[in-house]
Amino acid sequence: MNLLEIKNLKMDFGADAEALRAVDGVSLVIGAGETVCLVGESGCGKTVTALSIARLVPTPPANYVGGEILLNGQDVLKMSNGELRGIRGGVVSYVFQEPGASLNPVFRIGNQIRESLKLHKPEKATNEEVIRLLKLVGIPAPESRIKNYPFEMSGGMQQRVMIAMALASEPKLLVADEPTTALDVTIQAQILDLLSDLKRRLGMAILLITHNLGIVGDMADRVAVMYAGQIVELSPAKELLRRPLHPYTKALMASVPKLHGTADRLSAIPGNVPRIGNFPPGCRFAPRCPIARPECSEKIPELVEVEAGRFVRCPFWKNERENITAEAPRRGDK
Amino acid sequence: MWSYVFKRLLHMIPLLLGVSLLTFLLMSLAPGNYYTALLQNPQISPDTVARLKAQFHLDQPWYVQYFYWLKNVVRGDFGYSMAYHIPATSLIVGRLWNTFLLSFFALIIAWGVAIPLGIWAAVNKDSWIDRACSLFAFVGLSVPDVLLSLLALWFAAATGWFPVGGAQSPLYDFLPSAQQFWDRAHHLILPAIVLAASDLAGIMRRMRSCLLDTLRAEYVTAARARGLGEGWVVYKHALRNAINPLLTIFGYSLAALLSGAFIVENIMAWPGLGRLTMEAFFAKDSYLVVDCVVMATGLLVIGNFVADLLLAWSDPRIRLK
Ligand SMILES: Nc1ncnc2c1ncn2[C@@H]1O[C@H](COP(=O)(O)OP(=O)(O)OP(=O)(O)O)[C@@H](O)[C@H]1O
Ligand code: SF4
Ligand SMILES: [Mg+2]
Repeated sequence: MNLLEIKNLKMDFGADAEALRAVDGVSLVIGAGETVCLVGESGCGKTVTALSIARLVPTPPANYVGGEILLNGQDVLKMSNGELRGIRGGVVSYVFQEPGASLNPVFRIGNQIRESLKLHKPEKATNEEVIRLLKLVGIPAPESRIKNYPFEMSGGMQQRVMIAMALASEPKLLVADEPTTALDVTIQAQILDLLSDLKRRLGMAILLITHNLGIVGDMADRVAVMYAGQIVELSPAKELLRRPLHPYTKALMASVPKLHGTADRLSAIPGNVPRIGNFPPGCRFAPRCPIARPECSEKIPELVEVEAGRFVRCPFWKNERENITAEAPRRGDK
Repeated sequence: MWSYVFKRLLHMIPLLLGVSLLTFLLMSLAPGNYYTALLQNPQISPDTVARLKAQFHLDQPWYVQYFYWLKNVVRGDFGYSMAYHIPATSLIVGRLWNTFLLSFFALIIAWGVAIPLGIWAAVNKDSWIDRACSLFAFVGLSVPDVLLSLLALWFAAATGWFPVGGAQSPLYDFLPSAQQFWDRAHHLILPAIVLAASDLAGIMRRMRSCLLDTLRAEYVTAARARGLGEGWVVYKHALRNAINPLLTIFGYSLAALLSGAFIVENIMAWPGLGRLTMEAFFAKDSYLVVDCVVMATGLLVIGNFVADLLLAWSDPRIRLK
């Protein structure tokens, strides 16, 4: 049994006539101890997919219209509030993008970590354990830090506190939603190193969400590329980086910031990201796809396993004639 | 901490000086003084009036009057009420206490009702409860204090459940102490409710919007993501933050309450500072007017100071700066 199995998940914002499909048939498996990256441009549905794992998207406005999210074999979408509270923190923990905003500003960080411990490991809810956790995430002089309020710490330190808090309950899966986007470049690398290091030592699975394909190579076992609410390519990380198959992945690769670790939004792909409720018919990437043909807009392509372990949502992935590398100079001209 | 308190109290002095000076100036702009009316009285000789005027320095320019007044105030003497023929201090202390009582209970009623209602409306956003609360707030914000006071008077007269005006019954002094307490409370209830009502709607709406804001904050999602129960998330993590912006309006709420008290006291015949100010003003009992204004300012400044202390106590980001 896999740790997490998302099967054909469909989620709308709003109901009935006003429903806008934000997640459209996403399937994703994460095994115990595995690191999976979810990449895609802003607004493609990464965060709502990730939050759905612990059913953290408020309903309403959200509305789950299909699919299953099996966590340890149990469907999260069918759980009672009590069961949900058990898996939140207990099985899956979150680290968010803005560490300054995800820590409660009026409580001391030691108290906030202890609160998590009290909930999930009541026998360990002590200052010693809090200090041990802060040490684990590399906060210097943790004894003096537990009395700090969040605003007394730098962004990087705050994110370490968030990670410590996420680890306090010893989760099986850590969801890190763009954990470094809000941080300075040098700090970004430190936080990513910390995550890889923790994963090696603690063996939990990680779902890492990012805009930046550049950090995928160092972290991920597998990569899921999302576009307009759908997964368009799913592949082992190394192979995807060596040889992307979907035209969108190729475009993403071409737009990776060359300086390792920078977090520029992926804006280099020509054309606009389609808004939810306004997805083009057929293949959603068609308006921006360099090799699009008329039949692409007729029906939505299936996500097909084209090679062992490699899934692509494009029937024309083999088309090597006009790939992105041929496209790149043209973009450079203007 | 104590140096901060001391500094704030020190800041009060120039403010009170300015306010009293301005009041003297404004009083001097109005024609005549307390004894102008007496001149019309054939029973009192103009000599006597002139002597009285000189005794109270009313024959001097206003700034000279001001310095005489100030000199006495520094010695703890707030002058003499020409209309009541008693020292202003003894008059003001009782009235100040009445206004304090009225405002204090209005404050407790207003915040005590508005905060739970606001929380309730926010937690049940868009439900019929929320709609009923906003309708109630809309009505509360559109009815002026004057109308509400008159309605309350009419209500008291029509039902006979409450005394019509005043702070105690005529027989107060002959009552046993337990009944004296009840008598005062009975007189206090209606004006306090009227005064509270004007403030309540605003506080409730503010509470609702603050809590809705914090409920959208990322640390609330983060708290839920850690498995905390919804009640804990709302009442500990969200509410604790929503209270801070409310404490900043606590000072304004006091100011609104005091100016509201001025109206309510005058219409509902509550013997407080507002009513005294009004009476003194029309009688041109000039030293008393200045005393009243200074006292009201002092009350306001101290109230704001208390609000600031509360906020500092509640918000570490302010306390530690
Ligand atoms: N509460 C909400 N109500 C309505 N629409 C929403 C809500 N939250 C998100 N959406 C929409 O759902 C879509 C997916 O949002 P999501 O936050 O998952 O994107 P994302 O891939 O995480 O983007 P980013 O990289 O900017 O974080 C977006 O179009 C967004 O506008
Ligand atoms: S289906 Fe057509 S438009 Fe879509 S990615 Fe493939 S080639 Fe491009
Ligand atoms: Mg996101």
